[in-house]
Amino acid sequence: MNQEVKTTPLHAWHRDHGANMAIFGGYEMPLWYPTGARREHCTVLTHAGLFDTSHMACILIEGPAAYELLQHCFSKDLDACIGAKKTPLEDGRCAYGIFLNEEGETIDDAIVYRLHREQYMVIVNAGMGGTIAGHLAAHRGNRESTVTDLTDRIGKIDIQGPLAGTILKKVIQRPETVFDRMPYFSFKGHFDARSPLAEAVRLNDGTPLLLSRTGYTGEFGFEIFLDPAHLVALWETIMDRGETAGLVACGLAARDSLRAGAVLPLSHQDIGPWPFLNNPWPFALPYAPDRTGFTKAFIGAEALLHIADPEYTHAYAGFDLRKVSTHDTAVVVDSDGVEIGTVLTCATDMGIDRVDDRIFSITSPDKPDSFKPRGLCCGFIKVRKELPNGTVVQLRDNKRSVKVMITDDIRPDRTARRALKDMVDDG
Amino acid sequence: MKEINELILPEDVRYADDHEWARPANGVVRIGISDYAQDQLGDIVFVELPEVGDNYDKGQEFGTIESVKVVSEMYMPISGEIMAVNEKLEETPELINEDPYNEGWIVEVKPGDTSELDALMTKETYLSMLEGEA
Repeated sequence: MNQEVKTTPLHAWHRDHGANMAIFGGYEMPLWYPTGARREHCTVLTHAGLFDTSHMACILIEGPAAYELLQHCFSKDLDACIGAKKTPLEDGRCAYGIFLNEEGETIDDAIVYRLHREQYMVIVNAGMGGTIAGHLAAHRGNRESTVTDLTDRIGKIDIQGPLAGTILKKVIQRPETVFDRMPYFSFKGHFDARSPLAEAVRLNDGTPLLLSRTGYTGEFGFEIFLDPAHLVALWETIMDRGETAGLVACGLAARDSLRAGAVLPLSHQDIGPWPFLNNPWPFALPYAPDRTGFTKAFIGAEALLHIADPEYTHAYAGFDLRKVSTHDTAVVVDSDGVEIGTVLTCATDMGIDRVDDRIFSITSPDKPDSFKPRGLCCGFIKVRKELPNGTVVQLRDNKRSVKVMITDDIRPDRTARRALKDMVDDG
Repeated sequence: MKEINELILPEDVRYADDHEWARPANGVVRIGISDYAQDQLGDIVFVELPEVGDNYDKGQEFGTIESVKVVSEMYMPISGEIMAVNEKLEETPELINEDPYNEGWIVEVKPGDTSELDALMTKETYLSMLEGEA
């Protein structure tokens, strides 16, 4: 395995702007800028933040049976994944799911984008392009399709936060047309200038983009895919045009605390080489209405239906901001003092706090007067028994013990699913 | 991340291997963490302080400092009795990031053995240690 540390095209920009850098997924990436992770986190809640996510990997699946290959390998039922009515995946829509092995264990999570009937873009985590491309190719069988690992050949940046659309509007051509009918988990355009889809979204200088209403913060925003040759120019343009709206560059620390508060899993940490079952993300599995089976056959399905004593993954929120360290194993201790599992993620959502029995966010419309959150520790635990919401457990590392409560939601009043028309100024 | 030449390293404090500083004045010694340490930790969100009156040996853990990234221990650069703690840090721990040598001081001790101060590093020695780590 090649252990050489990789960089994204924005590496020099990060260094020049004083970022504290660290290795993540084989890439040297910014943890935070001089702004500081707390302000970066809170700015995404109140204004907008820009993230370099070019370390993530992109795979293209093309051909007459590309759809069938994905149906076989991906946990989401692409015939029934859009909206409450569970309609099929259409052109311009995308879906979140998991690539499982035959044992029902997570190889990686992904978003699958349908560009057209015979072309799909699959976004997986840093360093996973080769693994997932290999997995797909190995299970191709007679399904006529090609799998291309585009790792490091696609640039990606995310603009996240309530002002993301207002800022983006300044840098793209015909924003009204682009933003018209663009619900959560839809996209327009293409990163490849040769695609007829590339006409749909262009920067003011003509550069084509694939613009997706998705993200990893729980907040309103977009993920932007483009030719890496144009990545730095786009980043600088957005930073420049976003300045008056309060836009800040954000590092991986803010990305991690934002996603933890939004109850989103980090692959290889919250989901990994254990059965993908009894966790806060059942929507990634194609459960039949009666929940006893799945609506399709796919790799890992049989195993998941026959796991003898599965563990339970629960989200939790603490009572103050103190964390436990998961570098060495941190354990979960129940009210009888019995160790019942391990801590997967422990981060601090710095935009929230408890007031009496409720969690408020700095963006909660009904927050108490003079609400000044110090943050709450939050994340995920994996335990041997099911814990109802409201159960209090202790998380313990080699230094401290922290009391937390099991919950199904953490940061309230998130904006990711808001209607786009309500989030973009008409001016 | 600050470049080494951007670090603030005052001449009037002594430095310990674990990046604490100590500044004697009026019979007591103020202790905090260096600009390098706060820059490495990132935003400091919580500080666990000792009790006034507690006695510590040199090198003993006297509290923890929690940043967005990590929970770290703080070690006594010299032995002594805690005479005061910076209570402002309970509400505004970010003072350590903003002003690590003044407003962001952490504890004040009555030294057990003043010669321990002389054994700590000068700015020049500390700087060359940091350059060695870089």
